[in-house]
Amino acid sequence: MHFVQAFLNGLLVGGVYALIASGMALIFGVMRLVNFAHGAFLMLGTYLSYYGWVLLGLNPYIFFPIWGVVLFLFAVGVYRLLVRRVMGANDFLQILLTEGISLALVGLAQLVFGADYRQINLPIANRITGFGSLHFSVGYILSFAVSCLLVIALTQFLARTEMGRAIRAVAQNRSVAPLMGIRVERVSAITFGLGIACAGVAGALLLPIFWTNPTVGAPYTLKSFVIVVLGGMGSVQGAALGGLLLGVAEQFTAYTWADRYAEVVNFVIFLLVLLFRPQGLFGGKA
Amino acid sequence: MKRLPKWWPTALFFAVLLSMPLWITDGYVLQLVFRVVIFAVLGMAWNIVGGYAGQLSLGHVAYFGIGAYAMTLSTERIGWNPWLGVLLGAVVAILAALLIGSVTFRLRGPYFALATIAAAEIIRVLVQNQDQLTHGAVGTNAPLLFEAPNLDQKFFWGAVPLLGAVFALSTWIHNSRFGYRLRAIRENENTAMAVGVNPAREKLLSLLPSAVFTALAGSMYASYFSFVGPDTVLTIEISVQAALIAMLGGAATIWGPILGSIVLTLTSEIFKTYFEHTHLVVYGALLIVVVIFLPGGVISLFEGRKRLRRETGPIGSVQG
Repeated sequence: MHFVQAFLNGLLVGGVYALIASGMALIFGVMRLVNFAHGAFLMLGTYLSYYGWVLLGLNPYIFFPIWGVVLFLFAVGVYRLLVRRVMGANDFLQILLTEGISLALVGLAQLVFGADYRQINLPIANRITGFGSLHFSVGYILSFAVSCLLVIALTQFLARTEMGRAIRAVAQNRSVAPLMGIRVERVSAITFGLGIACAGVAGALLLPIFWTNPTVGAPYTLKSFVIVVLGGMGSVQGAALGGLLLGVAEQFTAYTWADRYAEVVNFVIFLLVLLFRPQGLFGGKA
Repeated sequence: MKRLPKWWPTALFFAVLLSMPLWITDGYVLQLVFRVVIFAVLGMAWNIVGGYAGQLSLGHVAYFGIGAYAMTLSTERIGWNPWLGVLLGAVVAILAALLIGSVTFRLRGPYFALATIAAAEIIRVLVQNQDQLTHGAVGTNAPLLFEAPNLDQKFFWGAVPLLGAVFALSTWIHNSRFGYRLRAIRENENTAMAVGVNPAREKLLSLLPSAVFTALAGSMYASYFSFVGPDTVLTIEISVQAALIAMLGGAATIWGPILGSIVLTLTSEIFKTYFEHTHLVVYGALLIVVVIFLPGGVISLFEGRKRLRRETGPIGSVQG
């Protein structure tokens, strides 16, 4: 029974991972940009959600779209101001730039919000529900459900809307897309905004079941990389599945071995997949 | 003018550096210069792999931590002389570099950078969780490499030869066939292979001395601040700092990392006096500025633009 509980707990956490990593996969797939600032934007999402609840009483489970929009706009600004300038450059400079953005955001958060741990007490998130001998926190279920809905919405947006088609076209071929009348710059800005909004909303959804501080995002940047590699670089569906898989793998490690080695397992999986199955676990194009 | 030997600025620089403890009486200033020297060593060591060979390692903290922990634990657990521990750190760093390098150098571009982070993180988590051996997340006291009195002076005179050694190595690499092979790999790995360079071998060869000097800097750093802990000597911030110092000064140049270390240390120190938690903002802002406005580093301000293109430009301009 512990086994089933661990599996389901893993799925619940994995749902949020899936949302974070979908954002990173989108940015990588379309812009060929490895976003080292992903976790820092997630951290901003947690603070929006925190102050929204503490100052204005806005429940993150209802008002997360607002935080998503705020981060979308902020990210578009960051793209126009900074990221745009390294789009043609090689990954060496791109990585250093996004790492720089990450450090600056974390540092600013320390200055503005202070380095303390913060938590909110959302009555609904602390409730426990169960079936038989299985127990779940309602907060985890809510975060999982909203994340899954958003990932599905994202894939549908990419598959069915005109903008989604344009994004996919840019992902396929950056130099041919403009010949088809696609404004690549605009598509890139929107893609970056969408990817960051995914991370930010995930942060807002994590806050009720977790805590935050300015460095809370760093592990999620690394986790997203692991997931994106698992799912095949740049595939949003792959990243969604990879997120669930990583959540389950972590929980199993915690149950069968020790909590603290869950991270090591992540990185070992990561290196093994990179070396032996670089196209990701779920096949697809290399 | 032509008769003045080419090495005179170097000789002058090291002479002034060595004499500093004699005329700097302020302990704080000397500590600051010590940090500049240690981080210059770190930046120069990184520069061999990251600058000349163009491999963006973000896992150099692994070797830094290995140096610090090997010295500390061999002294504490086996009762070795700390200097023997420093040597052990260098040896372990070579073994770790062989292992990590042979795995990660099979990957290119962002995959390589990510794999180096993963390797360093695996070491951090392992150290953090082997409480029995390493004191876990809390960390422990590191042994002193020198004896009081005048510790600041002794540490400083211990660090300058280290800088001299890595400086000599950089100078050799800069002008040797080995250095040209590394640059060929940086410019284009496939083309390098076509002209008979074995990238796997050369990259690994570049990592070995880089890891050794990083480990030595780590031992020295930990001993000076008499502390080792996963959050101080195994944090990814050190890796980023190594890359930032080299890029800031000028990647694939001899003087770049020294310049970078001076600029970075002084900038973050100046800001620290005004705000409490600013070093991250400063690092981040400097990284952004360097990448966007000054990809050749501060040193490019002093050199002609054409020369810069030839020597350092390609890191930013050519896809590997």
